[in-house]
Amino acid sequence: MFPEIGHFALALALALALVQSVLPITGASRGNTVWMKSAQTTALGQVVFVTIAFTALMQAFIVSDFTVRNVVENSHSLKPMLYKVAGTWGSHEGSLLLWILILAVFGAGVATFGSNIPAETKARTLSVQAWISVGFLSFLLLTSNPFERVFPPPLDGNDLNPLLQDMGLALHPPLLYFGYVGFSIVFSFAVAALLEGRVDPAWARWVRPWTLAAWISLTAGIALGSWWAYYELGWGGWWFWDPVENVSFMPWLLGTALLHSAIVTEKRDAFKSWTILLAILTFSLSLLGTFIVRSGLLTSVHAFAVDPERGLYILGLLTVSIGGSLALYAWRAPDMEPGGLFRPISREAGLLVNNLILAAATGTVLFGTLYPLILEAVTGDKISVGPPFFNAAFIPMMLALVVFMGFGPFLSWKRADVAGLLDRVRFIAALALIAALAAWYLLNGGPIMAYLAILGAAWLLFATLREWALRIRLFEVPLAESMRRARNLPRASHGMTVAHAGVAVLMMGMIGSSAWKSEEIVFAAPGTDVEIAGFDITFEGAEKVQGPNYIADRGTLEVRRNGELVTTLFPERRYYPVAESQTTESAIRSTLAGDLYTSIATPASDQVNNAGSWTLRILYEPLVNLIWIGSILLVIGGCLSLSDRRLRVGAPRRAKRPASDAVPAE
Amino acid sequence: MIWGIFVLLTLLAISFVLYPLLLSRSSILTRRDAVPAILADQMQEIERDMERGLISEHEGQAAKLEIKKRIVAAVRSSERKVASAACTGGKIPLVIAAVLAPLLATGYYLTMGSPNVPSMAFAGRADERAQNDDVAILANQLRERLESDPAGGPSEGWMLLGQTYQRMGRAGDAVEAFEVVAKREDATSATFSMLAEAVAVANDGLVVPQAKMAIDRALELDASNPAATYFESLYLLQREEARQAYDLLVSRLNQEDAYVPWMETYAAQINRIAAAADLPVVDLPSGPTSQPGPSAADVAAASELSDADRAEFIRSMVSRLAERLKDDPEDLDGWMRLANAYTVLQEQDRAIEAYRKAEALLKQRPADDPRRPAVRDALEQLGG
Repeated sequence: MFPEIGHFALALALALALVQSVLPITGASRGNTVWMKSAQTTALGQVVFVTIAFTALMQAFIVSDFTVRNVVENSHSLKPMLYKVAGTWGSHEGSLLLWILILAVFGAGVATFGSNIPAETKARTLSVQAWISVGFLSFLLLTSNPFERVFPPPLDGNDLNPLLQDMGLALHPPLLYFGYVGFSIVFSFAVAALLEGRVDPAWARWVRPWTLAAWISLTAGIALGSWWAYYELGWGGWWFWDPVENVSFMPWLLGTALLHSAIVTEKRDAFKSWTILLAILTFSLSLLGTFIVRSGLLTSVHAFAVDPERGLYILGLLTVSIGGSLALYAWRAPDMEPGGLFRPISREAGLLVNNLILAAATGTVLFGTLYPLILEAVTGDKISVGPPFFNAAFIPMMLALVVFMGFGPFLSWKRADVAGLLDRVRFIAALALIAALAAWYLLNGGPIMAYLAILGAAWLLFATLREWALRIRLFEVPLAESMRRARNLPRASHGMTVAHAGVAVLMMGMIGSSAWKSEEIVFAAPGTDVEIAGFDITFEGAEKVQGPNYIADRGTLEVRRNGELVTTLFPERRYYPVAESQTTESAIRSTLAGDLYTSIATPASDQVNNAGSWTLRILYEPLVNLIWIGSILLVIGGCLSLSDRRLRVGAPRRAKRPASDAVPAE
Repeated sequence: MIWGIFVLLTLLAISFVLYPLLLSRSSILTRRDAVPAILADQMQEIERDMERGLISEHEGQAAKLEIKKRIVAAVRSSERKVASAACTGGKIPLVIAAVLAPLLATGYYLTMGSPNVPSMAFAGRADERAQNDDVAILANQLRERLESDPAGGPSEGWMLLGQTYQRMGRAGDAVEAFEVVAKREDATSATFSMLAEAVAVANDGLVVPQAKMAIDRALELDASNPAATYFESLYLLQREEARQAYDLLVSRLNQEDAYVPWMETYAAQINRIAAAADLPVVDLPSGPTSQPGPSAADVAAASELSDADRAEFIRSMVSRLAERLKDDPEDLDGWMRLANAYTVLQEQDRAIEAYRKAEALLKQRPADDPRRPAVRDALEQLGG
């Protein structure tokens, strides 16, 4: 019964979305308040019905109702409860339903919390949001019904994918989707603004919390995904430039640009066109990501051609939404009132450069992701664009970005005082240079790019801290006074400091774990010693152990440094009989200085195995944990900004003013 | 119950659409109110920041000037665009939407939904699993007996074992059981077609060479064996000879005058091929094509086994079917199979009862449904 209630509720949600996509927007253009108000109630109705549907599907997963095909294909009665629940969004159908649920949540969020938004703007925004809902709900119901039934039901389900039985992955899609789909409401705001023909600081103020919420979720989602890959896949890397990763990274890059561009619109009434374009493109990339991942295009262009129904439907949605919104942009954006003027050296100019670099970086990732697909479609050749391309193209751009990131907060709005600026950053630049040279001296060796990156990270960290110190006049006034100033600072300002520092910390982790990574792969019989990064590791042997739903080979590795036992690690190779698949459970000794990462596998050849040999993979990744710490700082920074309910005005500097009054503007 | 909930949900949906009518008197926030409000707040914020010393006097004044400019701009733009007098009429479209939306949802649901399929939680299906376990125990006993038989065990026993394994989803074991008989003198066409099926199932539905050899042998022994013909067609389909596969099935189907249960499987397969290859479809009374529970052939095979085990074995399968039909009494083919099973078990009263159920269900079917005469004949023979 529950699955049928879910199915019916989904149909009602589609019907309400249809009403919401027509009535409010018509009301807004005709000045009919009742029709406009229907946006709020239908948006709430949608979230109610989609939640009913989602709950019904989850119920089917929880009780293992194998009359639902989706449950048969994606669950098993033996799965631990947590993963049964997570199975709800593990499949194509379930994840789309989650996508739609989040879409509805953001719509209802604006309907409920947007009390400061004028009714017209809200009605238009929610109608546009409903257009997206209609597209995806009809896609779900017509091509990927999650409530398809099987009767009589099979005795048990088919899937017990052990790889998916991981906390990280259970949480990863919801967070990623919150980010992906969260940008939908920003998109809707942008399209509504284009229809209305007006973008102003008030508009930017209304959109700000939604952009931030989406950005925070996407940041957390990507970091969590990367963390999962690092711990679970057993390859010892945290980023692979895999297309699935790239499609979530692209909206993040553009979303970051959008976040900064919207600040300029809010504070300075400028960059309107940029902000709108970025809002449209960010969500377009989210859609593109959904399309690429969901159409099966990634496995092979050929696979897409075999079962094109779903892919073509999303492709159609994509064309209509991206094409339509860009056409609207081309038509309406030129009519937008020009915004505040600014000089080439100013906070605005700095943010403009930031936008350009982030957009170029996004373009690079997009090219690297789509090129193999296009090439395969046209010539049939299968190539993969891997880390070398991305590292060569992407890293220099990021380094340039970091330089500007350090400068940016020192610049004042409208026009900045170049001499004063240089005066303030000279010391930090010298400090960063010393740090990089010290690293070079201590580490003697390593790629030059890594030292440039260290220089960049140090510069960013010092500049961010220095800027914060300036703001609260640390050491200029008594400490108590500084603390008082720190308390009085807007939270958004703390948010920026924390997030920018987070980027610096993140970079340190990335540099350390990629440039100074050591790796050993050995065929080892019990008793073998491996030396890595100052550790002596002795392979004591391996034994069979029985887990709740798997059998594992568990290796015992004793880790010594200078003859003293540091720890004992137990990497496992697990075999899950029901799913007939294997996973690697790496054992990691994690410290702030670095991770000692070990994994074990049976050698490919039986002969070697009979001799009692194993393949050991041992890595040392210095500073890798800084990546997660930096990501957490980014999220905290975002949350601090989100909690700041203040309005923002960018106070421009007067043309001439005393140099002593060198406090950056808020 | 379920329809009651649907009605409630529908009413809820309607109220979401109509609720704004109740709000029609409440005022709305217009841009003219919202923007100046924000700007006024901004002004106050600057005052506060100046007091707290966050920004200097100079900056504060500049920012205030900036905001004043914005206020002027906001006022000018709202003057330019004369706000249309708030109109609250137009209730009719709302009512139309409130009617159309549930209609649309219901229309969709009635075509795509399955309101009659019950939910079955895994925990609530312990009996079914227990029965399945019983079958597994019985199958094991049967296997032990057959293997310990110095004469190698009767062929019928091996066939029954193979079919049991097949139904339990243990295709590999089924192949082994059928192969024992296939090597014997008394192997029939059915032996080979069942072997072919088991081999195909064990290979994810692919007609591998071993299966093809069994098909050929089955057709050699009996050219009209429908199962062998079916798998031959599947083999052709895998070689992307859809047309030949289609023709083969259609010609075999046309050889029959009266209704036989396998026709539905045939029709479904023909129509699948037809849909993909743009060929004419065939029309048969459609129904569920794959049902668990004993088929007539299973029971017939079991009846050739003269053991005490056999009766128990059949009964376990039959009771499973009867149990399921209690939950799903609309299953016409289920009743026909059950009746057939009782006939084989010589439980005349129960057979008649089951045929009567089928007869009742058939009344809703077209007059030329081939199952009608079948039921009539059976009832006559049973004297019911």
